[in-house]
Amino acid sequence: MGYMDKSLTYIHEAILKGEVTPLELVKEALLLAKEDTNNAFEYICEKEALDAVIKLDASKKNNLLYGIPVVIKDNFSTKDIPTTGSSNILNGYVPVFSSEVVTRLEKEGAIIIAKSTMDELAMGGSGTTGHLGVTYNPWDKDKKHQVGGSSCGSAAAVSAGIVPFALGSDTGDSVRKPASFAALVGLKPTWGRISRFGLFPFATSLDHVAYFTRNVYDSAYILNILAGRDDKDASSSFNKVEDYTANLSNSIKGKKIAVIKGIIDSISDKEVVKSFNVSLSYLKAQGAEVDVVDIDVKLLKAIYPTYIIISCAEATSNNANLDGIKFGNRIEGESFEEVMVKTRTNGFSPLIKRRFVIGSFSLLKENQDELFVRAQKCRRLIVNAFNRVFEKYDAIYCPAAPSIAPLVKGSSNNLSDEYLIADNYMAFANMGGYPSITLPLGFENNMPFGGNLTAKPFQESLLLNIAQAIENGTGLKDLVAKRN
Amino acid sequence: MELEAIIGLEIHVEMKTKSKMFSSGPVSFGDDPNTNVNIVDMAFPGTLPTVNKQAVINAIRVSHALNMKICDLVTFERKNYFYSDLPKGYQITQQFHPIGSDGYLTIKTSSGEKKIGIERLHMEEDTCKQLHSWDFSLLDYNRAGIPLIEIVSRPEMRSGEEAAKYVEKIRSIVTFLDVSDGKMEEGSLRCDVNISLREKGSNKFGTKVEIKNLNSLANIQKAIDFEISRQSIILEFGGQIEQETRRFDEGSKETVLMRVKNDAVDYKYFTDPNIAPIQLSKEFILDAIRTSPELAESKLLRYRELDLNEYDSSLLISDKDVSVYFDEGLKSGCSAKLLANWVIGDVQSYLNKEGISIKEFPVCSLELGKLISLVEKGDVSNKQARDVFAEMIKTHKDASTLIKEMGLSQVSDENALIGIIKEVIDVNPQSVVDYKAGKDRAIGFIVGQVMKKTQGKANPALANKLILEEISRR
Repeated sequence: MGYMDKSLTYIHEAILKGEVTPLELVKEALLLAKEDTNNAFEYICEKEALDAVIKLDASKKNNLLYGIPVVIKDNFSTKDIPTTGSSNILNGYVPVFSSEVVTRLEKEGAIIIAKSTMDELAMGGSGTTGHLGVTYNPWDKDKKHQVGGSSCGSAAAVSAGIVPFALGSDTGDSVRKPASFAALVGLKPTWGRISRFGLFPFATSLDHVAYFTRNVYDSAYILNILAGRDDKDASSSFNKVEDYTANLSNSIKGKKIAVIKGIIDSISDKEVVKSFNVSLSYLKAQGAEVDVVDIDVKLLKAIYPTYIIISCAEATSNNANLDGIKFGNRIEGESFEEVMVKTRTNGFSPLIKRRFVIGSFSLLKENQDELFVRAQKCRRLIVNAFNRVFEKYDAIYCPAAPSIAPLVKGSSNNLSDEYLIADNYMAFANMGGYPSITLPLGFENNMPFGGNLTAKPFQESLLLNIAQAIENGTGLKDLVAKRN
Repeated sequence: MELEAIIGLEIHVEMKTKSKMFSSGPVSFGDDPNTNVNIVDMAFPGTLPTVNKQAVINAIRVSHALNMKICDLVTFERKNYFYSDLPKGYQITQQFHPIGSDGYLTIKTSSGEKKIGIERLHMEEDTCKQLHSWDFSLLDYNRAGIPLIEIVSRPEMRSGEEAAKYVEKIRSIVTFLDVSDGKMEEGSLRCDVNISLREKGSNKFGTKVEIKNLNSLANIQKAIDFEISRQSIILEFGGQIEQETRRFDEGSKETVLMRVKNDAVDYKYFTDPNIAPIQLSKEFILDAIRTSPELAESKLLRYRELDLNEYDSSLLISDKDVSVYFDEGLKSGCSAKLLANWVIGDVQSYLNKEGISIKEFPVCSLELGKLISLVEKGDVSNKQARDVFAEMIKTHKDASTLIKEMGLSQVSDENALIGIIKEVIDVNPQSVVDYKAGKDRAIGFIVGQVMKKTQGKANPALANKLILEEISRR
């Protein structure tokens, strides 16, 4: 009998009861990983995982993660394990240090069995742009649908039942969107709640450590481990870390939930809206007050372009260290300029270069006021608008995406309201640093879609409490795509 | 056409903090290449900057010493450009809100005092050091991330002398504040000169030339004087000054062309999102200033109050370590004047002879002070003290131990001396007669005999006095 499709608590109990050993779990996960057909993995850490499981400290077996196989997105630095960010420019890069989050997981006894694929350097939302190609949605046996990105491999690994938990990162919606497409719980806590030390930066002011589980309880438990101040990340918060599992079963009576009208209005898929409304009835049934609230549609439409300008500007600077001098697959040249130009021209895909050009362009002296500074002002207006909602409401709740996962070869109308709003609005939570969670809502043609709940900064406990109430209502948890 | 030079300076000061500006990597000079480096300094993907508090304190102290406004909100910007010595592809600096702004300092030149305006002072990080060979380059990341303060003057200097005095004053401030070694020859204080010429009385600026690689005060002055005459000649003959970067060639004592400047690089500055703005409290700023080490100027005033003359005082503050040595010696309670004479005289000549700095001088100043106190008390004579001092250098023993070992302590006990004096006079009655007959030399003979009996340890002044008293009684 397999365990990898079960919840963390279930597997943990099985270890404690002696039904299964960490070594057996790791072997199961490694086997499943090797059989993966969705292109979920950059690197399977077979030897490293087997070594680590032997060295496990048995005195720590009461830790929930003791002996549990996990997957790490390939933009987290992992000591002695290749880390490429799914970019050719970092082929062969083996870090000499681990990210703070990886260290924390390992301390708890988690065993890293693989590094997962991603959109190149986390810049993308489709899971199709990494240097190993398209990552598929495990819910689609025909491999026509995306799983979403940029944390595509981590989403695929958890929804395919290969591991019960995987680490991702979320700069616009890179965990919360794939979670919607893969029937997972995806949590991005408050900016500063989890140390970013060791996470390859995409857009610093928007980057968050985030992760996938298959139920709300597991998500809360993982936060207990990952949250907390880290002196290596000056932006990490000194706020007290709570026991995020403690309030999960609290009543949500009287909690006030806002549904943003402009977001719902931009969605054309009736199935999605219907299931969403059903989930609202669960919230109301448990005593929550739900209101439909207006935010200026112009501001909602501005989220995506604002995100693009700020994220591209920060990205072009953040990735300037990959110049072939210290990092990056160096291509030799006659001068240092030539080395840099050749290395970067070869190492980055055209999509990445496009983002760098947009970012550089918006930072140029003659454009900065019109583009970068204006985007920052716009970000402030957007955050102010959401802050005003949070003055009256405990959480904002909307569908996480306008539809099920798009087709790999699909195309979207990039100027439609649906694309500009429902498909990309979740970046508001990155702009405001709000904690935000996606969880399953329903299925359409056997493909999942989810809802997204966002709360005020550092209100993870309340956020998870309300998420648990939704999960209780839908009963959609521990979902795993059937294997072919 | 009468021309005047418009000179502005940019000075980079390497701070000697324990760790780097944004990492815990150690700051240390002269170590083997790439031994003081950590993952942040090399910009490993995923590493993050953390601000060095001591560097901020240092920057506040220097800003205060330069009479600047101190900005209580510390923010850092990224200066984005690609260069082989730049680990991250950007330098973290303070572009928008420098910690110090709008200050001045006063210099003394041969033509009197002059106030030089200072536009800004900001913190930033150093790049790595490059060593270029004919077909390869070596990178030393020890320097990468060392905290720097950059001080930008207003273009208010008019001569090489003024510029050299300005730099000398800045160097004095950063060394007395313990912020930096301030060694130009080792690059811990680096100076770039911007210089242009214009017709006297005009308010337009001429084309600016930048001079780099100035590694001493003398060279700053020489380079500027040369550049003034070079540009003057061009302008006198109707030529035009090119906007260019030049360096000073020590061999020929001339500035030579490095590169012609094209359009300014666009550094695409933006605030570093990894470092949230730091609000400095009033207490923090005041505390940094209050606990600031003493500046040369204030030491000078203090020395003058100790009755040292202007010349001695300025000699003592010409080198921070000498003044620290002197201050330490004062704690012994000895005479400031005598101590100053020793430090400027005996100590300095030993240092010169050995070619060492006062930090390497083997006699601690407190012990020197004690020795001087013994001279003041009359326990040893000046001449004996010099012998003791020489032994202290050799043996590292303290003064009182050596005095005992060398059997040098003077007999200053009146009772003991009177006994000896009486004996000497008893056996030399003729001397008393001679003295009373007006032969002053007779007293010398008696003193000599007393000295002989005490093996030279009698306090001569005291002995003299007691002998006269004894004779007058006879």
